[in-house]
Amino acid sequence: MRKLMDIVGESEVLYKREDLIAYECDGYTMYKGMPRAVVFVQSTQQVSEVVKCLNKEEVPYIARGAGTGLSGGATPLGGEVIISMVKMKRMLHLDLENRKAVVEPGFINLKLTQSISDKGYYYAPDPSSQYACTIGGNVAENSGGAHCLKYGVTTNHILGLEIVLPSGEIVEIGKEGIPDQPGYDLLGLLTGSEGTLGIVTKVTVKVLKNPEGKKTVLAYFDEIDDASQAVSDIIAAGIIPAALEMMDDVAIEGVESAAYPVGHPRDIAAFLLIEVDGIVAGIDDQIEEILTVCKQNNVREVKVAKNEAERALWWANRKMGFGAMGAISPDYLVQDGVIPRTRLPEVLAKIKEIGKKYNLRIANIFHAGDGNLHPLILYDASVPGESERAAKAGSECLKVCADAGGSITGEHGVGIEKAAEMRFIFTDEEIAAQTNIREVFNPKDLLNPGKLFPQPGRCVEVKRAGQNEMQPVP
Amino acid sequence: MNVGEKERETVNLAGMLENGPACETKTLGNYLWDDLPDPNKWADCVHCGMCLEACPTYQETGEEQHSPRGRVYLIKAVAEGKLDINEAFAKPIFDCLDCRACETACPADVQVGGLIEEARGQIRQAMPLTGLKGAVSKTFLNGIFPNKKRMNRLAGFMRFYQNSGLQTVARKTGVLNVMPRHLKDMESILPEAGKPVLARYPEVVPAEGETKGRVGMLTGCVMDVMFSDVNEATIRVLNRNGYEVGLPKQQTCCGALHIHAGDRKTGKELAKQNIEAFKDYDKVIVNAAGCGCALQEYDELFRNDPEMLPLAKEFSEKVEDVSKFLYENDFERPKSEINTKVTYHDACHLAHGQGVRFEPRQLLKEIPGVELVELPDADRCCGSAGIYNLTHPEMAGKLLDRKIDDIPENVEMISMGNPGCMLQIAMGVQKHGRSEKVVHTVQLLDWAYEKDKEQGLS
Repeated sequence: MRKLMDIVGESEVLYKREDLIAYECDGYTMYKGMPRAVVFVQSTQQVSEVVKCLNKEEVPYIARGAGTGLSGGATPLGGEVIISMVKMKRMLHLDLENRKAVVEPGFINLKLTQSISDKGYYYAPDPSSQYACTIGGNVAENSGGAHCLKYGVTTNHILGLEIVLPSGEIVEIGKEGIPDQPGYDLLGLLTGSEGTLGIVTKVTVKVLKNPEGKKTVLAYFDEIDDASQAVSDIIAAGIIPAALEMMDDVAIEGVESAAYPVGHPRDIAAFLLIEVDGIVAGIDDQIEEILTVCKQNNVREVKVAKNEAERALWWANRKMGFGAMGAISPDYLVQDGVIPRTRLPEVLAKIKEIGKKYNLRIANIFHAGDGNLHPLILYDASVPGESERAAKAGSECLKVCADAGGSITGEHGVGIEKAAEMRFIFTDEEIAAQTNIREVFNPKDLLNPGKLFPQPGRCVEVKRAGQNEMQPVP
Repeated sequence: MNVGEKERETVNLAGMLENGPACETKTLGNYLWDDLPDPNKWADCVHCGMCLEACPTYQETGEEQHSPRGRVYLIKAVAEGKLDINEAFAKPIFDCLDCRACETACPADVQVGGLIEEARGQIRQAMPLTGLKGAVSKTFLNGIFPNKKRMNRLAGFMRFYQNSGLQTVARKTGVLNVMPRHLKDMESILPEAGKPVLARYPEVVPAEGETKGRVGMLTGCVMDVMFSDVNEATIRVLNRNGYEVGLPKQQTCCGALHIHAGDRKTGKELAKQNIEAFKDYDKVIVNAAGCGCALQEYDELFRNDPEMLPLAKEFSEKVEDVSKFLYENDFERPKSEINTKVTYHDACHLAHGQGVRFEPRQLLKEIPGVELVELPDADRCCGSAGIYNLTHPEMAGKLLDRKIDDIPENVEMISMGNPGCMLQIAMGVQKHGRSEKVVHTVQLLDWAYEKDKEQGLS
């Protein structure tokens, strides 16, 4: 502790139980573990020194941003030192001519767009937590967002990274932010590595010019199958909407009871929120086509946002959706499966059955256009046994996705939550191949241990530990 | 939702604890004292983190325990028996500004402010303030604010201090240099104390012209002593709009500062007195955002008191901010021009606490000649936060500096709807060597009406 204080200063280390307890989980609350300490770093040099110190003492450690992650990526298993990146939050360089910006990892996602919007630019990846989440965390989790259908996820927007390796060495990947450098795609490897390969200390991102025009459609359906079919038909018609979101009846109950009610009818099965953007000429044609597709699929009511205020409300209602579940349930577990779009009706029906089987309500708020599902399993952790049931139901949802030819995560990451479920899509050999890569970067497995991959004999333990409230500090 | 109910049980702890809670007191985890916090409030929080960047103390510290979600988590941890009530728990809970910015940001409408106040109530019962802090807090909160005579005497003293030359002497002799920096800064901007309206005005001030209705008005403590001119302006504006203004003499301090400080007992006593004082009025108009918010939350205060709850609910619904009241009742548009550039600061307890943002801006915009220039991050706390600037000068100072930095260069006035903010921002304006005039929104309207009169336009 003393050595850490010598590096960052006494006030930049938290170690009292009362100060640490708020760090025992991130946005995923089903598993909790106490960190040994929290260290606030303010420069790449400090990160390097802290890492060297911890490496020497063989103390495990985790980098943490805003802690809005949904798979436990920043949650300690017990006894790690958390390196908090939130004080490294400056924009270092803005080069609009070359459409790039260099930020520190603690820079808030939405602030990036806000700080360049007056010049007509924005940063495309827009996870719903963008009001609070950090770009560094986005890199670790390869975050997506509603508008990733057209624009791609975080990895498609990263031009360069500076990272501190577990050895303490500082390396730069993707120098000068020139895209598509020769050699192995290390940027691709690091983006989405969930903080297991290195600690990002500087990020060069792509910024885009604001689209010239934008229109948003809201379509109410009486049948989930019709809504799902409409999704497939829109894509099949050759339209790539900027966003194509779906919300079902339980989810609508949640958002309408919370802070941003739109006045959605309560008796519909689902609605689609569809946004088209690009060059003004052509947007109206695409909207016409979308309206036609919706009508062909028995839409009850379909409307185009009248103005920016209405559009903003529809989006606030959608983006605040997860948090809004608090209004109808004390806890939720959100899953993140991906499936081929054409299998939507079948998979949604199976998820409904899983809810019935475990006697838990499941809300669906998701990126329908990507086939990226977010079943939100509503439960009450204070009811004995309910957390376990929710965890099992979640795991079964992922199994359904994997069996439908999909994947267990689209954008939230694996973290602690889905480590065991990695076996649904990877064989032991495939997992071993990936952990071999980890060993190249992180040989002692001190950096964010126990995350992303099932560990022999550990995954069961972790799942079980999840049921216990807290781990003792070693 | 009624989670957590099962965690409650009746325990007889009286024998175990000195000065312990009464035998009948229910407990909740490590909350052992009267007036338990509400488990339903934290049940709404799903730890999503949308509140983080809205929180001024998180923006400054980056520390999770100084964020709304972190504080809610700690409060819940005590109820779960994972934490004790001690200094380390009390610090993040008392470092909260109670500015409610998190409540605006929260997707699930978690009442963080209410929870903080309830937790403070537990802390102050478990760990009563002692020493100098306790004495100062007691003097102001219990001895002066709720006591009209003493408040008037304080006003008298301040007038004496300012008029007698004592202020000049104090400033010249350097006596003030022995005071802590923040108190010195504050002394330097003390407005000229007027004479409290409540003591001077009749109990009923008749409307000008035809009477459209009658309203009660809370005169407040700080407002009436430091800014009695704002109270006078408020009464004139209401009169001018056809309202008879009632100033019931038995009204008292709203109790907000007590509730913020964890002294819910005194808060409730004051609340009862106000509920009684205004019982004959259907509408209670307030020009101080902090007081208005407190009055509107009397029902929260009496959450655990089935006898008072219906009365408190009925009262809370009668309370309205003056700007909202005027706007919604189609206030008379002034005809004279006041040529000035104004920016508007959202008082936390008006914007976040009462959801009043649009109406005061609209009032300003509809005064001929007033050009409203938006203040960036207008609804971020200025650091005043009741007596936070006295108890937490360092954090309050940082927030004040940011607020002043944000004020657009070319405005002549900064308008707002809360006396605490007025004092704090006036202090910032002086400290930063700027020249903007700090005004209450209603004052601008009043000046326009006065000009109408002078020009025979009314």
